[in-house]
Amino acid sequence: MTLKRMIAAFGCALFAVPAFAAYPDRPIKMVVPWAAGGDTDNIFRPFAPMLQKHVGQTVVIANVGGASGTKGAKESKDSPPDGYTLLAVHDYIHSTYYTGVAEVNYHDFEPICLIASTPSVLTASPKTAWGDWKGLLADAKARPGMITVGATLGSTSHFFPALIEKAAGIKFKYVSYEGLAPRMNAILGGHIDLTDSNLTQKGKVDAGQLKFIAIATEKRSSEMPNVPTLKELGVNVVYDVNRGVLAPKGTPADVLGKLESSCAAAAREPSFVDSMKKQATDVRYMGRKQYADWLKGNDDLNKALAKDLGLLKR
Amino acid sequence: MFELLASGIANIVQFKYLIPLAIGSLIGVVGGALPGITITMTVIVVLPFTFGLEPLQGLAAMIGVYVGGETGGLITSCLLGIPGKPSAVATTFDGFPMAKKGEPGRALWLGIWASIFGGLLGAVVLVGATGPLAKMALEFGPWEYFSLFVLALSMVAGLVEASLVKGLVAGAIGLVITVLGNDPVMGKPRLTFGIEFLEGGVPFLPVLIGVFAFAQLMSEVERMGGGRDAFAAVDRAVNLAVSHFKVIGEILARPILLLWSSFIGLVIGVLPAIGGSAANMLAYDQAKKFSKHPEKFGTGIPEGIIASESSNNANVAGSLVTIMAFGIPGDAVTAVMLGALTIHGIQSGPLFILQNPVLAYGMFAAYIVAHALVLIILWIGVRWMLRIVTVPKAALFPVVLVLCVIGAYALNNTMDNIYVLLISGLFGYGMVKFGFPLAPFILGVILGDQIEINLVRAIMTDDNPWLFLTRPISGGLLIASVLSVALAVWQHRRQQRKGVAPAQDDVDF
Repeated sequence: MTLKRMIAAFGCALFAVPAFAAYPDRPIKMVVPWAAGGDTDNIFRPFAPMLQKHVGQTVVIANVGGASGTKGAKESKDSPPDGYTLLAVHDYIHSTYYTGVAEVNYHDFEPICLIASTPSVLTASPKTAWGDWKGLLADAKARPGMITVGATLGSTSHFFPALIEKAAGIKFKYVSYEGLAPRMNAILGGHIDLTDSNLTQKGKVDAGQLKFIAIATEKRSSEMPNVPTLKELGVNVVYDVNRGVLAPKGTPADVLGKLESSCAAAAREPSFVDSMKKQATDVRYMGRKQYADWLKGNDDLNKALAKDLGLLKR
Repeated sequence: MFELLASGIANIVQFKYLIPLAIGSLIGVVGGALPGITITMTVIVVLPFTFGLEPLQGLAAMIGVYVGGETGGLITSCLLGIPGKPSAVATTFDGFPMAKKGEPGRALWLGIWASIFGGLLGAVVLVGATGPLAKMALEFGPWEYFSLFVLALSMVAGLVEASLVKGLVAGAIGLVITVLGNDPVMGKPRLTFGIEFLEGGVPFLPVLIGVFAFAQLMSEVERMGGGRDAFAAVDRAVNLAVSHFKVIGEILARPILLLWSSFIGLVIGVLPAIGGSAANMLAYDQAKKFSKHPEKFGTGIPEGIIASESSNNANVAGSLVTIMAFGIPGDAVTAVMLGALTIHGIQSGPLFILQNPVLAYGMFAAYIVAHALVLIILWIGVRWMLRIVTVPKAALFPVVLVLCVIGAYALNNTMDNIYVLLISGLFGYGMVKFGFPLAPFILGVILGDQIEINLVRAIMTDDNPWLFLTRPISGGLLIASVLSVALAVWQHRRQQRKGVAPAQDDVDF
């Protein structure tokens, strides 16, 4: 080996190391912008170890709740774009922007992957006088603006009941409860009447602690076939919450690529698929490109929704 | 319930849980025994080491620290007359005179056995009452939570401290700090002065670490005095031999005292915000009042030791009830534990036991088994404890301080936490210098957001403000908070008339 070659080889090694082997060389933080034990948390908790398995570094979940999930979003946006801080996100990133709760929107981030989609279920406290849509509708007409709904303001749990309000021509009263976990405490205690939840709460319905009023899907779910769809009740609302992973804007393409391929493999892991099935959530994988297009479409949709609902502030 | 508890104990005695529990208990005993090092500091030091563990392993370690700390604090109280921590102050009153009279072993083991009995009595309530209390906690709407927090703040400001006004001001400053940053409901920035870092608000754990580690340690450093080791003259080879049967007999011969002191400890533990430092004084005071020979208190009688030590261990059980049933911290130690739960992805609160029975009963079991471990640790190690606790503070304090800073950094791996720690440490030190108590301040910081959110929720649910008074639980809590302030005013007046300046002590609330 000539000296020249040796120097060249050495140079290659020197530059190659940071470019290929470097990421990830320390733990990755995944910000879940809601309280621990909520539904977003429940979906990303089983996902994180699978991502960790494929990305080859520890993935730590940090619950940064507050201000309708925008505190965590802001924190991730302001983190260095090096792939060591990720944001676990759902449709709220669009809705909080258009309702004026947040300055952060999806275009402050680079999409990595979409992983799951959960249909919304209108859920009632056991302490309400009615147990089905008919009773609720009659009560809402008799006492407009008096039925309380626990919601993360400006987020999906606000949009979903607002869509029902509009479709059914009724009026609710909204109370701020951030994330599903605190809402569950409040609804079980009867401090709010209604909330947006999903089939993850099936156990509590079976135990008689909660009442599912209707599910926002096209067809009834095989998990709970006795819960009617809103459509069959004459309320034309189909709504689900889609969850994915974002990275701060400016994260290098090779890092995004590594995360995307790890994410794809993680979403296929049987243990993740299983735990999603238990939570009545569909695994819905999209890669970077497809997710980016989807986000754009979803953003327009949310803007239109916010406008329709009279919540648009931009 | 007992099946669940049995399986919890079977679970916790596995090596993977028993080891962290034992290590935690040992660190707790040492941390509790070291004068100037509080249990809060010890838990903060242990916290970052639990991040990599399973949730139950981490919680077991912290419960070990808590139980070990409450017990370990009595060692220096009895043998040197220096409380190892604020919640063992009353133990010095009779423990030290008894040791001076030539019975150091009796004083020490009376305290240890009283701690164990008090702690286990607490366990009965912890296991039996947490579930029903959690059901009751579900009935707590925003009005009740708001009033409960107001009660907590007014009690800690009024009961524990020397100056009521300074206590209330300290609590108010704590509340103001939580106003900084984006509002918790709609995310509007407040008092951020355009500083981006402030928009996220001030994280409470770094503030807590700053105040309880930095500010308190600095005051300790001042007290050390010109480099001379205060422990130089201590006889480290004191004979601690004693008949355990006799000591246990002495405790069990006073069942009412044991039960009443443990009960006081428990109730004070369950009440948010006031902890061991109030419990041991109150229990001692009560024991004296109900005694047939109150004049003998302070001369080295067993009653004083039993009252103080059984109450401060039962207090731990009470605090655990509050975090598990209500999801709100009973004191600074449980505030750190609550932070640890969140880091591990567990939401504490009314649904905690239902949703995490294995973890909840694992925690109960850890609490019970920790008492056995602490007993073993002290049985084997008590003869060396005096050597350990007389380690020069010049070596000890810097180590503790560095570990606390690492703990603050490790919370979410950001330097911002260190800056918050530094600022709040300096601020807390200033407060100490001007005679402002730290406990109400930190409680304000811990509860501020919750007070605000619950106030907003209550008004959003129903715009009738009278509901705070007309809802029975909420109204009762608010009346209790008015009474507690009134009582504090009355007590301060009485003390002033007597011309006695109330004692200003450290508080590990």
